[in-house]
Amino acid sequence: MSQMQQGATPGGIGSGGGARTAAPLLALKQLDKRFGATHALKHVDLVFEAGEIHAIVGENGAGKSTLIKLLTGVHVRSSGEVFWEGKPVALGTPHEAINLGINAVHQEVVLCPELTVAANLFLGDERVRLGLLQHGAMVREGQKILDDIGFHLPAGALLSALTIGQQQLVATARASTRGTRFLIFDEPTAYLTRQEAAQLFALIRRLKDKGVTIVYISHRLEEVFQLADRVSILRDGNLVSTQRVAETNEQALIAGMINRSIDQIHYKEEVPFGAEILRTEHLSGKGFTDISVRVREGEVIGLYGLIGAGRSEFVQSVFGRFPKTDGQIFWKGQPVAMRRERDAISRGIALVPESRRDQGLCLNLGVGLNLNLPVYKRLTKGIVINPFAEKAAADRQIRDVQIKAASRDALASSLSGGNQQKIVIGKWLNHGAKLFIFDEPTVGVDVGTKVEIYKLFAKLLKGGAGIILISSYLPEVYDLSDTLHVFRRGQLVASHVGEKAVPETILTEAIGV
Amino acid sequence: MTVEATPSVQLAATRNRARIGMLLSLTLLGLLALMWVALAFSTKNFWTLNNITNLLRQGAMTAILAIGETFVIITAGIDLSVGAVVGFTSVIIAWSLTHGFPIWGAILITLAFGLAIGVFHAFGISKLGLPPFIMTLATLTALRGIGLLITNGATISIANDDFTGFSRGDFLGLPNLFWMVLVVAIPGYVFLHQSRFGRYLFAIGSNMEAARLSGVNTTRMIYIAYTLSSLCAAFVGILLAARIGIGNATQAEGWELQAIASSVIGGTSLFGAIGSIHGPLLGSFILTTINNGANLLNVNSFWQRVITGGLIIVIVYFDGLRRRKR
Repeated sequence: MSQMQQGATPGGIGSGGGARTAAPLLALKQLDKRFGATHALKHVDLVFEAGEIHAIVGENGAGKSTLIKLLTGVHVRSSGEVFWEGKPVALGTPHEAINLGINAVHQEVVLCPELTVAANLFLGDERVRLGLLQHGAMVREGQKILDDIGFHLPAGALLSALTIGQQQLVATARASTRGTRFLIFDEPTAYLTRQEAAQLFALIRRLKDKGVTIVYISHRLEEVFQLADRVSILRDGNLVSTQRVAETNEQALIAGMINRSIDQIHYKEEVPFGAEILRTEHLSGKGFTDISVRVREGEVIGLYGLIGAGRSEFVQSVFGRFPKTDGQIFWKGQPVAMRRERDAISRGIALVPESRRDQGLCLNLGVGLNLNLPVYKRLTKGIVINPFAEKAAADRQIRDVQIKAASRDALASSLSGGNQQKIVIGKWLNHGAKLFIFDEPTVGVDVGTKVEIYKLFAKLLKGGAGIILISSYLPEVYDLSDTLHVFRRGQLVASHVGEKAVPETILTEAIGV
Repeated sequence: MTVEATPSVQLAATRNRARIGMLLSLTLLGLLALMWVALAFSTKNFWTLNNITNLLRQGAMTAILAIGETFVIITAGIDLSVGAVVGFTSVIIAWSLTHGFPIWGAILITLAFGLAIGVFHAFGISKLGLPPFIMTLATLTALRGIGLLITNGATISIANDDFTGFSRGDFLGLPNLFWMVLVVAIPGYVFLHQSRFGRYLFAIGSNMEAARLSGVNTTRMIYIAYTLSSLCAAFVGILLAARIGIGNATQAEGWELQAIASSVIGGTSLFGAIGSIHGPLLGSFILTTINNGANLLNVNSFWQRVITGGLIIVIVYFDGLRRRKR
């Protein structure tokens, strides 16, 4: 940390910055972004000086990704202004952002694995003579670029032959070469080894010395303190604060990231626990190891962690999607295999998936058909569906779950996000499932519908069902779950039963400071 | 999520959709009637008993193919092999009949071949993970090859008069072949619109993942869809063999496009999840009338191919527009 103190003055050193009194490289004024009912970014004012390393921290869903997408021109802001060296810019397309010199290195590598490292470095800007590609020249030049920045990677190798971490370094090299003056890193060390991370940090410091502004987004707070000059905290789309790193500490950052507001209503009724429904013992699979949890009738267990912590993989394994590699699943005390989704569904497990559009709904079909999909067997007499039973079943769910739809024949795509979510949940009420798995059930849902979804939870619990709730929104899982399990990098790192620890502790466990 | 969806907006959208479906059916019916009237006035030979029965016979075969194809297209798949299956199964039934099998035995053998072909398609698509387009394109060429190998390139003539007589006969004034359409269409309607399997086909075409997560056995439904398509094609192979009295693997060339075009003209969406039984019926008789009329008007038969191709482009373009609007 100490070595960074000297560099903690923003601006200055670089060649691109100009006089200290000049306008900052990039300034955001009242930047605002809405996606339908979701208010992703709320009137954010931020200033990025030339040649500074500016870290941005926040919980999942705090608005960091939205901010990146606005800065790189992927999304267009709803309102507010952006100034580049004091001049207003539109940032309407990715092309415009790149032309200004704004580039990003994403968490997932977005390069062509079947091309060589050099070809990827020069993609879209190839060396050409007489209309023919100069492969040799590009490999030589590419190798020089890589050597210069201290990445020991072969320019002639296929990208797919490299590890994910090395590919990430190639993406970084690519982003840092083409006249970039503003470079955004989104969780760059997620897949890197310690050595690779050290190479990356060295590069970032060299870029800073050249006057490039770095925006560094990471959950790893120790990296923020190692690297950054200033740090901004986002929470629920709001900018909480911007401080010099030297003037804050990890506890203060975590406190800033946690939402203390009490305007969120997490409707919860106490329901006595009944018999055990599901138990896992030392369950392991792709993306998670050694997970032991249990769910009883009337109980909500919450799974909290950062994105990629292995929670979704774990529940999908329980649901029969991806087979376990080790450990045991017990259903009502009996060991079971759960090889396919249908095994799980026929036993009485319902999965309300994270992406309702991709996994939960038949969008261009009617509300009624969507609601009845799991129960058509019951509505069929002989070979023909009983049309009256079909209509009655659909109407009952529409009424019970309070889906705002014109009729059972309205297309699912014509409904609002919250009402679509109610369909995805409602279809399992008919089915009579015993265990409900909710994967991020309130993402993109307005507050009113959220409350209705929480009331549905209470109804399910009173009916003797159990719930596994995955949420990246800490206040939600914190208030709703009877037992809260914290996941980090595929492992269960803490379990809180009954009286829970303070949210700060839980977030710390999830981040692993 | 992007549009503020109030019940009144939804209601309008729902009503619109129902109205568009009704409108399309009526338009198609009107178009068919219009073409018949126009052809009746502009040609001498259209409104003759001979030509009308001919048209009904030819249209019947396209209609049965189109119904089978529709089951597959509703799942957002495609079956390019149906024409080849018709040619291939005409060889099978001709071979069976000339090798001493009774008519019912020969029919059962032929249908069993159709069933096996459909199962093979579904196996390739759901187990081997081949795209439906490639899987059925491969069997299209392979089946014609196998059919030609069986006969060594020759044509098998069918000497059984009971068998060939059926295609020339009629019942209640309508050709037997036309009645065969109802034999397929009525169970087809019950299956698609009144059984849960029909609902599952639509659900798979709309969102395979959501259907699977809702407990639908999607693999089985893929088997059912492709098997029905191949069975319909084998049935048409039998009818064709009866009609022309021969078995030859090169018959029914390009009929897969006729079937797909009929289905799409009848309102089936190539993107899946939209379709009916009456749509392809109307579509096939419209397409057959266009070809029949072109013949009578002495339009070069090569142009008929161009017209079919052009029709497919226009109709699929409008299908895409309809999809984008949503």
